[in-house]
Amino acid sequence: MAIVKEAYKALEAIVGSKYISDDPAICEGYRSGPGGYESGLGYERVMTKIPAAVTLPRNTEEVQRIVKVCNRYKVPYVPYSTGFYGPRSHCHVENELLVDLKRLNDFEIDEKHFYAVVGSGVIYSPLQEEAMKRGAYVIIGGGGAQASVIANLIGDGWSPLSHRIGLPHRRILGTEVVLPDGELLKLGTLAVGEDPFWGDGIGPDLRGLLRGYTGLRGCLGIVTKMAVKLLPFQPERLVPTGISPNTALALPEKRVKWVNYQMPSKEAQVKAMFEIGKAEVGGAVTKVPLFWRAIAKAESKEEFWQIWGKENADTIKNFHIVRVLFIGFTSEEQMQYDENVIGDIMKELGAVTRPTKPSDESWIKNADSAGMWLMCGSYVSVDYVIETLSQAVVHGESYADLKRKYTPPLMPDYGDPGWFQSFELGHQGYSEFLIYWDQDEDTTGVDHFYLETSKMNIKNRYYTSLLGPHQPLYLTGPKYGPNYHEWLLKIKDEFDPLWVCHPPVPLAHDAFVEKADWMKPVKDWKSPEVLKKVPI
Amino acid sequence: MPKKQVSLDVRQLDNFVYDMSRCIKCKGCYWVEHTYMPGVNFSTRCPSNTWNDFDSYGAFGKMRIGMAVAEGRLPWTPKLLEIIYADPLCGACDVGCKRNLDLEIELSLEALRVKAVKDGAGPMPAHKKVAENIAKTHNQFGSPHQNRKKWVTGDIQVAAKADALYFVGCSASYLNPEIAQATAKTLNASGTPFMLMPDEWCCGNTLYSVGMVDEAQALARRNVDAVKATGAKTVILSCAEGYRMWKTDYPKMLDVATRDLGFQVMHLVEFADAMVKKGTLKPTKPVNARVAYHDSCSIGRLADSWIPWKGERGWMGTVSPPLKRRRGTEGLYAEPRNILKAIPGLNFVEMPRTRENAFCCGAGRGTKEAFPQLASFSAKHRLDEVKSVGAELLVSACPWCKNNFALAAKETGNPVKVMDISELILASV
Amino acid sequence: MDNKDKLIEIVGVKNFSDEPEVLEKYSTDFSFLPAGAANCVVKPKDAQEIQKIIQFANERLLPIVPVSSGVHFHGATIPKQGGIILDLSRLNRILEIDEDNRRVRIEAGVTWEQLTEELKKKGMRMIMPFLPPAGRSVLTDYLEREVPTNTVYDYGEPMQSMEVIWPTGEIFRMGSASVNGYPDSASKGANPSGPGIDFYRFLQGAQGTMGVVTWTNLKIESIPKIDKVFLARVDDLAYAQEFLYRILPRRIGQECLLLNNTDLATIVAEKWPVDFEKLRTTLPSWTLVLVVSGLLRRPEEKIAYEENFLNQVIRNEFRKMELQDNLPGVPGIGQKLLSLLRKPWPAGKTYWKNIWKGGSQSLFFIARPNATPVYVDIVKKNAPQYGYPVNDIGMYIQPIEHNRACHMEITFFYNPADSSEKSRIATLYRNVALALLNQGAFFSRPYGELASMMYERAASYTMALKRLKKVFDPKNIMNPGNLCF
Repeated sequence: MAIVKEAYKALEAIVGSKYISDDPAICEGYRSGPGGYESGLGYERVMTKIPAAVTLPRNTEEVQRIVKVCNRYKVPYVPYSTGFYGPRSHCHVENELLVDLKRLNDFEIDEKHFYAVVGSGVIYSPLQEEAMKRGAYVIIGGGGAQASVIANLIGDGWSPLSHRIGLPHRRILGTEVVLPDGELLKLGTLAVGEDPFWGDGIGPDLRGLLRGYTGLRGCLGIVTKMAVKLLPFQPERLVPTGISPNTALALPEKRVKWVNYQMPSKEAQVKAMFEIGKAEVGGAVTKVPLFWRAIAKAESKEEFWQIWGKENADTIKNFHIVRVLFIGFTSEEQMQYDENVIGDIMKELGAVTRPTKPSDESWIKNADSAGMWLMCGSYVSVDYVIETLSQAVVHGESYADLKRKYTPPLMPDYGDPGWFQSFELGHQGYSEFLIYWDQDEDTTGVDHFYLETSKMNIKNRYYTSLLGPHQPLYLTGPKYGPNYHEWLLKIKDEFDPLWVCHPPVPLAHDAFVEKADWMKPVKDWKSPEVLKKVPI
Repeated sequence: MPKKQVSLDVRQLDNFVYDMSRCIKCKGCYWVEHTYMPGVNFSTRCPSNTWNDFDSYGAFGKMRIGMAVAEGRLPWTPKLLEIIYADPLCGACDVGCKRNLDLEIELSLEALRVKAVKDGAGPMPAHKKVAENIAKTHNQFGSPHQNRKKWVTGDIQVAAKADALYFVGCSASYLNPEIAQATAKTLNASGTPFMLMPDEWCCGNTLYSVGMVDEAQALARRNVDAVKATGAKTVILSCAEGYRMWKTDYPKMLDVATRDLGFQVMHLVEFADAMVKKGTLKPTKPVNARVAYHDSCSIGRLADSWIPWKGERGWMGTVSPPLKRRRGTEGLYAEPRNILKAIPGLNFVEMPRTRENAFCCGAGRGTKEAFPQLASFSAKHRLDEVKSVGAELLVSACPWCKNNFALAAKETGNPVKVMDISELILASV
Repeated sequence: MDNKDKLIEIVGVKNFSDEPEVLEKYSTDFSFLPAGAANCVVKPKDAQEIQKIIQFANERLLPIVPVSSGVHFHGATIPKQGGIILDLSRLNRILEIDEDNRRVRIEAGVTWEQLTEELKKKGMRMIMPFLPPAGRSVLTDYLEREVPTNTVYDYGEPMQSMEVIWPTGEIFRMGSASVNGYPDSASKGANPSGPGIDFYRFLQGAQGTMGVVTWTNLKIESIPKIDKVFLARVDDLAYAQEFLYRILPRRIGQECLLLNNTDLATIVAEKWPVDFEKLRTTLPSWTLVLVVSGLLRRPEEKIAYEENFLNQVIRNEFRKMELQDNLPGVPGIGQKLLSLLRKPWPAGKTYWKNIWKGGSQSLFFIARPNATPVYVDIVKKNAPQYGYPVNDIGMYIQPIEHNRACHMEITFFYNPADSSEKSRIATLYRNVALALLNQGAFFSRPYGELASMMYERAASYTMALKRLKKVFDPKNIMNPGNLCF
């Protein structure tokens, strides 16, 4: 397996011999699995390959030159910022070049105008720290502080802090993208100058090409630079404390505080979220699934199972916590106002305030997302949907029903209907379903479950993240839009006529279903000869 | 799935296939822990991967490579050896991963080296030279064994018999007599009688670290028996690497718990901290300097006691019997800081990366010998950090750190003064 | 079958016209773009009729010019290559008001007046751009990225999911409205993005060139329980901007804006020209308007903490900023402004920009707030060169999201009946635009000749945009002649 020789030489001239390699040991280090997000599943085993070569460019210009060489010599390539997202961000075909973007790590910050300019290699925790030093903050997506800021903002990009901050799509300002055929596209104010402070299009907004509801997994170009919005925070410092593994941010209690409210019922839990939204208060509002509490308490995998083993369907059904983050953006007085208002709501609903630690282990710096893998060794979020609270609440129940049929191999969770929370001050709602399994077991059930979730969404008319590259395009396409897949494929054909940019995405999940025997029983939709679509 | 017999024995790479196969590529092994992330500068704590940007040089890349080695899919090549050995095994990856997960990263890396040696591929030529030296002259440098105690000056009292035994180590004996002397004089000043080993041999740090576990184990056996023969209750070291060997790797190799070694293992900083608190060590002479402290890895992240374990792994990867994993919580972080704060005149400033987030000097565990460019890079990078807090004096607790920082400072014309904490204590008492 | 017959077959004879007097109404607007003649106008009643019309237009390569209200300022609906005016005014239903999720779904023809009244009945409101005309389409305003006067929401635009008829004739729903069977679905349409790609972005700012949006979901807010209007006299714009940089990130206020004396006088004057002239000379060079509101719960406490914060900042850091509930010499202006900010400009009344001289041309762009004094200087320096009195210029600055940016709007009032004045204004407009552009002003909504100015500079953007347009409108029938198409 190798990159075309002439191409390799040209690439070496671009980055220098220090920053390109086709050594087998180097390439092996870039294998997707067997561990990681969505790893240990059929898609990863069938669809991922190790790269034939890896290159580490330094800036947009080098990336553009690399992409042009790939187009000239028909070398498939995949953009890669941290590799954390799992199989979908790794090579899918033979003789592929992996473009490791970690050296694109320039950073600038405009404190007055609340934005930072980052390269693809910049991850969230340094950005959050630089922001907080200047009285600002960002949402660190649920994936964790180790996610690339750019990759997250064009892929996912939310957390309980989205209660106030909202969609990541609107947090993208001036941006540089190397299109799949090597053309350089500059968005927002970068289209006409060097100042990246604003992101709107000149007329129609081509930020639309960066992502859909969720991301395109790098099949429509490489984003090399992006100005991202910061949000004003409050001025007191959040102090890191403790020694690993027990580290946390000590919160300045008069300006930042988490409070857990125990609700008497699910209805009350949902109503609280609606009411808090209507009252336009709070910095984050979320349900807390019971097993998160078990993870937080457990010091080891074994301890988790001990704690979790004591729960059952009834304890799950009767555990309704609403966790609120109060932020005193304006003043201590304003935080008090928020507490009074939410206090009123909770009183009306018969809730009880629970003692809550004056620290943050999770969402503000998000140091513990890796804990999702503790219980079983394998994990993926199957679906994560921004819609309304109305959908979020019922989505979970259908999903929990379906999940029962596939437990095992899925982890026993006593019918937990997932996580949901308020978004955009209650104008939206969010639901996410996380599944866990042991990849040493037979994972056919997990592969099937994933696809059946997609069908369940279609059947029940839910919006879903299982669109675009995430599930077979010919399954979801006809049912959303309708026929959004035709537009997506036309756009793909227009901007990547050779299909060199991360092939065969966005048809990778379709290809997986064709290639994997055990998926045949669940394929009940039509697709044209998918594999022939991809010239390589 | 049937249960699998597993243990923490690095002689069998198979013991770590679960750990290597569950690495999620979160790079908690590479980044400063996110809670403590200082910003865009000084954001990493993996010297190997900061030195070489390819993923393969980080633990997360090595876990995948390790799987390939375990499954016989990767032949030993010079590049593969470089990936495995250009690494000070500083423990940042292990502690970083264990903030959230239960994977034995450090042991996996040690096991990979053992496998390299077993397969006849490793260690590096420079390591083989060190091994030869130890075999011939009982020290790493090939210096005459009879000169090992030359550092003892006339004004140092060495007891014929005492509860405390000062294990000097090769570096202080041959390269850094000032550290041995300062340590000995500190012990004297505190009124603590101490012995020396009648015939001190190398602790075997390099041998163990590069995977020559049989040779290292033989040395461990010999040295432990020698200490027991003296009747010492406590072994004191002022070399962090040696400390780690005695406290952790000797019990590991001898398959005993640290507490069952037959004596206590202590670093000078622990000892001095206790003596200062007790009042028997009085730092009264001022030392006027703005000082930064470098947390040497082997008394920090890597310092947790050892408890042997073997058992089964089964459902969802759970193990039984219960295993309390070593997560770097026993690091000697408070002790040196207490000491520095007790010395009058010192203006102590913390660097952005401290304690379990400290950036390794890059010299230890065979790295300097085989990869001087990595050791140089790491030290220079750390010196940038020292500069960023305006410190004029850098203190650490290991001769490897001291020598590597001093060399880097000299090469870059950096005026920062580099000292061992023993020297600083002595200057003040 | 000839075009007329086919169109009549689709919409019915009453909803088709090719009468010159009828077509003339669509041939010009308040801008000074030259007139353009369409061949006919049709008024479809629903998406299915629109679909048929567009499919027909594709067959015959006829331009389609979508028009959703009768009020236009920028020339975007003036037909540039003839064709069919697609008048969407019959699509005027408010389809849903979802109080739980604070969402409304409206058709393209729904006007500000209509929507404001309906929402008010439920104690709800839509945040608004500055003084939209009563008869203007709400959907179009937000599609065209009009900037709201309300700066306090982190999540910015109210836009959610939409239905569009693509230039190729397919009906398509975006965002979470894309679920099959919508709106009879668990999904309510609150998410604008996706599916697969962010289609809604292509339609924003598109001036009708990328498709015909038939309905949209939008966020609605509750009407505040208590409002307090604060006004401050501003002689030093830079100082006022520093003040806004200080207070807006603290999430103070609902509506917040700056108006120069000419604009403000034009807006509030009752008796013309007496009041206007008096106001113009009495008002300070700029007035800062800040509305502080109490919401649904504990409204007095909210007002109290905001006021306390403002007082503290002013006392300690901005002593020259005197926030009061009125402007000296202009009694009642506070309440008057509040009422104006919460309602569209009344239907019966001439639009404020056209009262004084009969017409106006506005130049607007996105800017860094601390650059606005430089832009003011540029405008003031250029105007006299084209014989335009500096004191006649209207200026409006709208802070955006914590003052990270602002919308700045320069208005040149003129008499449209005077063709030489009109021509001078056109030249002034173009030259000021160029000068501002060279200093970093960002014309993200380039109407008329601003389009070529921007697209020529934005080579990579223009190229990509044309490639995208080819995908959605291969026959180039959707409002050709606008933007770079």
